Amino acid sequence: MNINVRATETQGATRGIVRGGETLKEHRDRLMEATRRTKHYAGLEKLELRDTQPIHYNKLFSRLRAGVVDARETAKKIAASPIVEQEGELCFTLYNAAGDSILTSTGIIIHVGTMGAAIKYMIENDWESNPGIHDKDLFCNNDCLIGNVHPCDIHTIVPIFWEGELIGWVGGVTHVIDTGSVGPGSMSTGQVQRFGDGYQITCRKVGANDTLFRDWLHESQRMVRTTRYWMLDERTRIAGCHMIRKLVEEVVAEEGIEAYWKFAYEAVEHGRQGLQNRIKAMTIPGTYRQVGFVDVPYAHEDVRVPSDFAKLDTIMHSPSEITIRGDGTWRLDFEGASRWGWHTYNAHQVSFTSGIWVMMTQTLIPSEMINDGAAYGTEFRLPKGTWMNPDDRRVAFSYAWHFLVSSWTALWRGLSRSYYGRGYLEEVNAGNANTSNWLQGGGFNQYDEIHAVNSFECAANGTGATAVHDGLSHAAAIWNPEGDMGDMEIWELAEPLVYLGRQIKANSGGAGKYRGGCGFESLRMVWNAKDWTMFFMGNGHMSSDWGLMGGYPAASGYRFAAHDTGLKELIASGAPIPFGGDTDPQNPVWDALMPDAKIKRDKQAITTEEMFKDYDLYLNYMRGGPGFGDPLDREPQSVVDDLNGGYLVERFAAQVYGVVAAKAADGAFTLDGPATEARRAEIRRERLAKSVPTREWMKSEREKILAKEAGDHVKQMFASSFKLGPKFFKDFQTFWDLPEDWKLLEEEIGVPHYGSHYHMDVSELPDVKTVQFVEQ
Amino acid sequence: MNVPVGILRNVQVLGIDAGGTMTDTFFVDQDGDFVVGKAQSTPQNEALGLIASSEDGLGSWGLSLADGLKHLQTGVYSGTAMLNRVVQRKGLKCGLIVNAGMEDFHRMGRAIQCYLGYAYEDRIHLNTHRYDPPLVPRNLTRGVAERTDMFGKVVIPLREETARAAARDLIAADVEGIVISLLHSYKNPAHERRVRDIVTEEIAKSGKAIPVFASADYYPVRKETHRTNTTILEGYAAEPSRQTLKKISDAFKEHGTKFDFRVMATHGGTISWKAKELARTIVSGPIGGVIGAKYLGEVLGYNNIACSDIGGTSFDVALITQGELTIKNDPDMARLVLSLPLVAMDSVGAGAGSFIRLDPYTKAIKLGPDSAGYRVGVCWKESGIETVTISDCHMVLGYLNPDNFLGGAVKLDRQRSVDAIKAQVADPLGLSVEDAAAGVIELLDSDLRDYLRSMISAKGYSPQSFVCFSYGGAGPVHTYGYTEGLGFEDVIVPAWAAGFSAFGCAAADFEYRYDKSLDINLAPDAPDDLSEKAAKTLQGAWDELTRNVLEEFKLNGYEADQVTLQPGYRMQYRGQLNDLEIESPLPSADTAEDWAKLVDAFNATYGRVYAASARSPELGYSVTGAIMRGSVPIQKPKIPKEPLEGETPPADAFLGTRKFYRKKRWVDAQLYRMESLRPGNRVAGPAIIESDATTFVVPDGFETFLDGHRLFHLKEV
Repeated sequence: MNINVRATETQGATRGIVRGGETLKEHRDRLMEATRRTKHYAGLEKLELRDTQPIHYNKLFSRLRAGVVDARETAKKIAASPIVEQEGELCFTLYNAAGDSILTSTGIIIHVGTMGAAIKYMIENDWESNPGIHDKDLFCNNDCLIGNVHPCDIHTIVPIFWEGELIGWVGGVTHVIDTGSVGPGSMSTGQVQRFGDGYQITCRKVGANDTLFRDWLHESQRMVRTTRYWMLDERTRIAGCHMIRKLVEEVVAEEGIEAYWKFAYEAVEHGRQGLQNRIKAMTIPGTYRQVGFVDVPYAHEDVRVPSDFAKLDTIMHSPSEITIRGDGTWRLDFEGASRWGWHTYNAHQVSFTSGIWVMMTQTLIPSEMINDGAAYGTEFRLPKGTWMNPDDRRVAFSYAWHFLVSSWTALWRGLSRSYYGRGYLEEVNAGNANTSNWLQGGGFNQYDEIHAVNSFECAANGTGATAVHDGLSHAAAIWNPEGDMGDMEIWELAEPLVYLGRQIKANSGGAGKYRGGCGFESLRMVWNAKDWTMFFMGNGHMSSDWGLMGGYPAASGYRFAAHDTGLKELIASGAPIPFGGDTDPQNPVWDALMPDAKIKRDKQAITTEEMFKDYDLYLNYMRGGPGFGDPLDREPQSVVDDLNGGYLVERFAAQVYGVVAAKAADGAFTLDGPATEARRAEIRRERLAKSVPTREWMKSEREKILAKEAGDHVKQMFASSFKLGPKFFKDFQTFWDLPEDWKLLEEEIGVPHYGSHYHMDVSELPDVKTVQFVEQ
Repeated sequence: MNVPVGILRNVQVLGIDAGGTMTDTFFVDQDGDFVVGKAQSTPQNEALGLIASSEDGLGSWGLSLADGLKHLQTGVYSGTAMLNRVVQRKGLKCGLIVNAGMEDFHRMGRAIQCYLGYAYEDRIHLNTHRYDPPLVPRNLTRGVAERTDMFGKVVIPLREETARAAARDLIAADVEGIVISLLHSYKNPAHERRVRDIVTEEIAKSGKAIPVFASADYYPVRKETHRTNTTILEGYAAEPSRQTLKKISDAFKEHGTKFDFRVMATHGGTISWKAKELARTIVSGPIGGVIGAKYLGEVLGYNNIACSDIGGTSFDVALITQGELTIKNDPDMARLVLSLPLVAMDSVGAGAGSFIRLDPYTKAIKLGPDSAGYRVGVCWKESGIETVTISDCHMVLGYLNPDNFLGGAVKLDRQRSVDAIKAQVADPLGLSVEDAAAGVIELLDSDLRDYLRSMISAKGYSPQSFVCFSYGGAGPVHTYGYTEGLGFEDVIVPAWAAGFSAFGCAAADFEYRYDKSLDINLAPDAPDDLSEKAAKTLQGAWDELTRNVLEEFKLNGYEADQVTLQPGYRMQYRGQLNDLEIESPLPSADTAEDWAKLVDAFNATYGRVYAASARSPELGYSVTGAIMRGSVPIQKPKIPKEPLEGETPPADAFLGTRKFYRKKRWVDAQLYRMESLRPGNRVAGPAIIESDATTFVVPDGFETFLDGHRLFHLKEV
């Protein structure tokens, strides 16, 4: 047993704070050594408490879990931020002394891993001796270089002591609306380095005796734009942590410290076994390969960056290989991923892996037993220097999600192929939406205060289709399965923007036998704002999901904004004005209503701060999910229903689905069965006519590769993948049968590539010990 | 009970709990004696089941229906008909008028509605989420061009022709009701009311009779999804219920009653079936028990009560603190977010019929959330149930009498439970059958206990200052288990536990409650003149709500001087999104000093509910809502008061012994018949007190005392 306390061995001067007298570092080292040696967490080859007292074990679990869930529900009511209160962007997690999570509330559960990483950073860097870790201390962290997703997720971490010894930790996290980065909003764009990415706090001790230090309060509250949200968010986190600390103290008092201590470690091993059993039950052993991409369109004039070397269009690349073994263990390898870049879409290894775990909890392990066991049950390889494991301490992270969501959708497809093979058709999911657009900006609001906005309507995107039914429309986001778009009246309290429309976005869900869920769009008119700016953040030129087994990807993004609209006069005169949705962007109707307006309507879905004034318009378009199966196999009546329900633009019924519908006088569509059959037969003939044998197609593609016939952004993407992934390069060469000496280097493309040779990791700073969680 | 034969009882109060399968009636006579009647529910015409249930109840007093009903002074109905109509989407065909451009918002719902009511595991399991169909389909939704902002200022003036066109379309579509809900109409209802008037004009022109429901006239509170759902319920579900209630009222009048029936409403009072806001009677049954507990508390002097009710499928808990119900303002029901004031009642999906399973991957013990419901468990052969339930554990452990379940109506087989638990739970966990069954019960009890504890601590209290009431069919089986060690001031099981909800209906106040959203914002250092202005604004809202309350009572023939008014308000720190409901310490507000008292009352509550460290007075204060409640006195059941007799139960109460397992040993439990125990009797555990509709378990280490009010007090000894 490696979790037994070693009271007799650790008497004397070097006595540490962990129960039994070890230092935190000694404790974690012992556990990790045993984990490596036995392949069981903390060497727990037997779960003594669970096996001998299953009822007691279950009671402990259910009481603690209920308490943690309850703390989140209660504490979130303290917050002022609609992100926290309406969208539930918070989470509380209980950890054992070594910083491994035992159980968690719902919410943004990616932070089960990121807060754990912060605790482990404190352990490895001997916070125990300086600044010291005592009962009733408060720590704050949001440092992306030690695992946080992006600076706007703020952690409060509180140690839990029993009779003077540390027995665990509780962490609380909220997504704040502004972190004082270069631009307003929590996930701003434009900055290309950490130094503009927002206020970052490295596991700082911010309070003692349950009281925050005054220097911390003064400093932190002026480092962000939205101070009131910041203050109440911090109180929310502290209140939740203290509720959970009290719960643990009560449980220990009643159930005994021995039982609690065993539980705190056995639960993790139990979680690891749970994952392994689920993998065995749900999947088929083998190798699954897939890929994801997303666009970083920085050459456009509406992306204002401070640095020349960042001013170019690039593509982020994420090939992946899942290997599932017969014993239910598995490995995820991201060989071939592209390099981190001069933008804010990079990710730390911890946020990347924890996020994958979040996805797994929505599909593979949706059980109450979700904790760090799943992390110990998964082997990751993230090559050093890639966008998900950067090797430079200057990198920016503020919208890491841009590619996280696009990269993971590939994994969902991989797993779904396995579910499909096992017959779990209901569990199949063609992938997740790109969770955007992010409406952000700031200035002076309707209350005449400095303000930042960050709409979270995109917590309700379309979901991917399953193998038995359509995806859900306007329903979820991969980073928080409990999605919600919130009430318009609440967003209007938080933003000086009135709604002129909220409508399901036709055609946004990918076509298929089962189509992806559709997203929706909100048309906002600036109202009561002063010195105001806004910007767009989402995918534009590329579909970042794919669709499965013939299903189409979801529609990609675009932007619509209108300035100098003349709406004030149009409203006064009673003339028609834009309402509702931009239903068919190829045939827009709004633009003509505002003849003098300056309209921005294009695929440039990422921009930086742009000036807006009252009566200007901004379209917030939330993406749909990808489809499953060939659209020609879709039940024709379902296509007609989609037309009547506003889920499909008319011309695509015939074009994509081969469905012919007649329009009645009242505007309702009805199915023309025979014409549909004929049209579908015709499409099948057209497909055959267009097709060529794979080998021939590959031949022509190979010629293009040899001639390096591709856009600079495509070439740059591959060149950076080749450099960081020699095996990927070898596979590429072999697949395309390229000559031995064929190569593609960034140097030959003629675009800037700062960082490709010269980079310096945070681990190279004095006194810093980074914690390594993955193979690299 | 003690009335000599030949002298007719004077039956005064009737409470009704019309559930999905059974309709309970509860009659109270002039001495406070009561009787429970039961009959099968008759959903096609509820009046039939009610009359049958009344005949059953009155029959056991030897009264005919006519004799029983002729002195009746008041009657309260509660039932599930309206909720079922919503769940099954069998309401009226309604049209909806919203802002132009926002015609999709009702069918989109809030995404939260696609996982409302789910257990933790399914909330995170994306592929299980699903939306229910909207109450009003998209093709019966129309938009009108207008916009009003959050301050109530007009952004786009109403384009009346769009309202007229919308009205004509919906009238032509033959809708049976038209609901209007425009953004921020709670703040400035001018546009919405104008649309309402235009629609009314158009209906008149068409010669049709279609009721119109404007959200500002019904539920003027912020959050359009909540407000719109609730207003739609008025047209969709409440109007048909009004017809049902009228039929019931008429049927009773035919049998000699002279009063109008009242209905239990979500805010915990009863309202007339003629009330304007009838949607707030959507759930009424479970609230009855809470009201009953509150009434008992008032009569017997209990201020803080934890009400607990276990049925076949769920464990419901509600708290009464300082004699007041806790009200939730934006609750959800039937997977819809609503803006009704609802007696806060939390449910755990764990009851006597809950299934017990081991997770195949983790071997974790899972209770529910689904249940065998009325089919009990494996022990009832005819049920066809194969998965073990909590009731099977009860069988194994000797809690239940296999021959007296529902008065012997259902015969249970203990051996079936033993075999099933062995195979499904005991063997996989390596435990004996008894220990597995006892373990499951212990786990359930501990879940329920933690739940009770966390609810009480979330209110800022500890159980020591609460009396726990336990009722419902399965409540008294578990009372000892979920109260053990919490240190409640007292634990009470009413002898009429199984009919407690109907009793509560009979005990409810005749009370209307009106709410209004406000936006009063005050800086922490606001000068007195602003505080005074804030107090006056609040008073203005109270005045408006008072008029509404008095108008409702006037419909039922009560004058203003008969109505007792209680104002309340909802307050938060400026900028927050959640407020707390505070009962006003003052009857009216007028001055800066009054405002300060309102603020003090809020600060005191806030520190208790959250943490003292979460108080944020430096942000200033907002009043977000005004509340006015008005009530009139009505006839209520009297709580019986019988003289105490000796501590030893009469011989005829003793039924024998049964083997009973708890804490790793078998003991002989003494069996008693509940109805035969006398006030003053004391029963020490291990004992089981049986009645047709419930079983009260008193294990070793506990004893119970029956007081003169026919309440059992359970104590740890």
